[in-house]
Amino acid sequence: MDKSGLPLCSQRLNFATPGIPRTAEGKPNLTAPAPHTGDGKPEFSGLWRPAPNPYAPYAVDVIQDPKDESIFLPAAEALFRKHLSDFRRDNPFSHCLPGGPLNMLMPGLHRIMQSPTLLALLYEFGSSYRQIFLDGRQLPKDPNPTWLGYSAGHWDGDTLVVETAGLNDRSWLDMAGHPHSEQLHVTERFRRIDIGHIQRQITFDDPQTLTMPLTFSIALNYAPDTEMLETICENERDSAHLVGNANSGFELNSTKLARYAGTYVFREGSARVAGFMDSTQKVVVIGGTLYLNSRPLVPQSETRFDSTGTTAEFIVDSNGTVTHLILSQTEGDAKYDRKPESGLGPGK
Amino acid sequence: MNGRTGSFLLGILAIATLPTPAQWLNYPTPGIPRTRDGKPNLTAPAPKVADGKPDLSGIWALTTGASGVRQLKPSEIKPWALELAKERQESLGKDSPAGHCLPDGPGHAGGLDRIVQTPPLILILHEDLTYRQIFLDGRELSKDPNPAWMGYSVGRWEGDTLVVESAGYNDRTWFEFGYPHTESLRITERIRRADFGHITVDVTYSDPGAYEKPWTAKREMQYRPDTELLEYVCAENEKDRVHLVGKLSDDGKNAVTVPLQILREYVGTYERQIPKGPQEIKVTVEEGQLTLSFAGDAPWRATAHSETTFTAFGTRYEFFKNDKGEVTHFLMIDGSGPWIADRKK
Repeated sequence: MDKSGLPLCSQRLNFATPGIPRTAEGKPNLTAPAPHTGDGKPEFSGLWRPAPNPYAPYAVDVIQDPKDESIFLPAAEALFRKHLSDFRRDNPFSHCLPGGPLNMLMPGLHRIMQSPTLLALLYEFGSSYRQIFLDGRQLPKDPNPTWLGYSAGHWDGDTLVVETAGLNDRSWLDMAGHPHSEQLHVTERFRRIDIGHIQRQITFDDPQTLTMPLTFSIALNYAPDTEMLETICENERDSAHLVGNANSGFELNSTKLARYAGTYVFREGSARVAGFMDSTQKVVVIGGTLYLNSRPLVPQSETRFDSTGTTAEFIVDSNGTVTHLILSQTEGDAKYDRKPESGLGPGK
Repeated sequence: MNGRTGSFLLGILAIATLPTPAQWLNYPTPGIPRTRDGKPNLTAPAPKVADGKPDLSGIWALTTGASGVRQLKPSEIKPWALELAKERQESLGKDSPAGHCLPDGPGHAGGLDRIVQTPPLILILHEDLTYRQIFLDGRELSKDPNPAWMGYSVGRWEGDTLVVESAGYNDRTWFEFGYPHTESLRITERIRRADFGHITVDVTYSDPGAYEKPWTAKREMQYRPDTELLEYVCAENEKDRVHLVGKLSDDGKNAVTVPLQILREYVGTYERQIPKGPQEIKVTVEEGQLTLSFAGDAPWRATAHSETTFTAFGTRYEFFKNDKGEVTHFLMIDGSGPWIADRKK
């Protein structure tokens, strides 16, 4: 997702996009009116970058507030917990498989190519594509489930409404590991506000998994003068080694967990880790589980917790007061100070 | 691998088993010319887009897709490339990109493709979810691009012919029979929609890193109405590679010598039905060995295991006679199932 590690030798990446409105000094004019096709429909073609970038919060976790976790039905929540405890080894991306509905939430450039009868959506991440038919066909009634599903679009005024169904149940809604069933129905509403901006609303509805639909609003910003990079998953040698289990058997009751509750603010260490995890961490206890923002934590010891790829270690002073939090990832450690005036939980 | 090792023998094997059809696979394509009885009229004139250029849009089946690299004489192939092709043939294509669920890149030679056309960009969507972008917006090919599986393509119209130049491929994809290419590979495609149902592509390959001279191939594409692309995800079932331990030379261990007069009984023209349509197979005898040639492709020699059983590249051929002693057909047995090839002459 962060391209800083990729070679930048392709001149195509600095190619000046032809045919877009520019200001007097040659800069793309991203607030010019939205273009229309010959038949008067809004034109969505172009290269688009989801905002905020590079971290797409919903791709990481569709649940941004741990209170909303209860939107998942018990069986789906149990499957989510299983994904959590086996370090998400079944994440389709770890097996070079397509993202399915998760692709809709992923960062990375998207190319939209609109013809009168078909809108093609090309993803930079995973180098795959979706076909959205605009030729009037209805969604198939009982299709063979696929990774990318079947998509048909229609116009609601200037808004393109895309319905998607027929997804298999092997893909996840997010990197956190929230599952979905074959009943998942996705509705996307694309509206081009001006030349530089699309507002995209995505609704996941899955009566076998969710008690109510989940809706996200994602801004797509026009990406002029650049090009997509190919990303082919070609190193699928690791899955046999993914055998770990986060369930250490160590359990802490709510009273013990409650002393960690509070707000923690990034002070020093890896800015990359803090950027990915967020520079403010709210730690809460809900239903016997400790949450770091919206990430559930699995206890490894009295003070150490795991959340796939991240270790959270709480530092306690000689008085037994929790003073710091250290988040460790492969990229480094980020140290957080606990805000003393936190009203979310007791200090001890 | 879901039968994708077949692409090692590009254009020879075909995928026989497909999942239960979804309804879209039978969806009548709107807006195409049809005869009075509702059948698609594939010989109607080629359609045009608003700006008068031919419209290449639609679902197309590649009927001949191999690069034709084997037409080059050994002296026209750099020794290392010839050696590498032999090694890959010896291991029966075990390490082909397809065997690792990697893209076919310029070696793409089968399945259905959708072409979507707009004035500045033409897309070619493959069933394995890879795609090609052909830019017609005036940009030029990069001089030193980051090598990519699918390469970089730009196109321009010369009359009714779309001329596509491609470069910037990585050197990890293979042509048929394991013939390699380098990052210097350049491909020129001259694409013409002859009528509603047919596209012909004249392809020129040039790769001074591996081959002494450019060569050409002709590709045919047939319009496929009233159907849809079927998602194909290779990585779903990549469990087979560890079992691919055979060697081409294993064939020779059980070889027998069959008298020439028996081999000559098999000489003739045969035909089998594959999803693309009928395919002609010529059987000859060369230097005392039974030799097969598929659809005009360069021939290869088969190893005899008995008077009626032969093998070549992991495929078994069994010849059958009628009660008059005439050879009537042969069975071709490989990973995609048994195929019957009836003798035509």
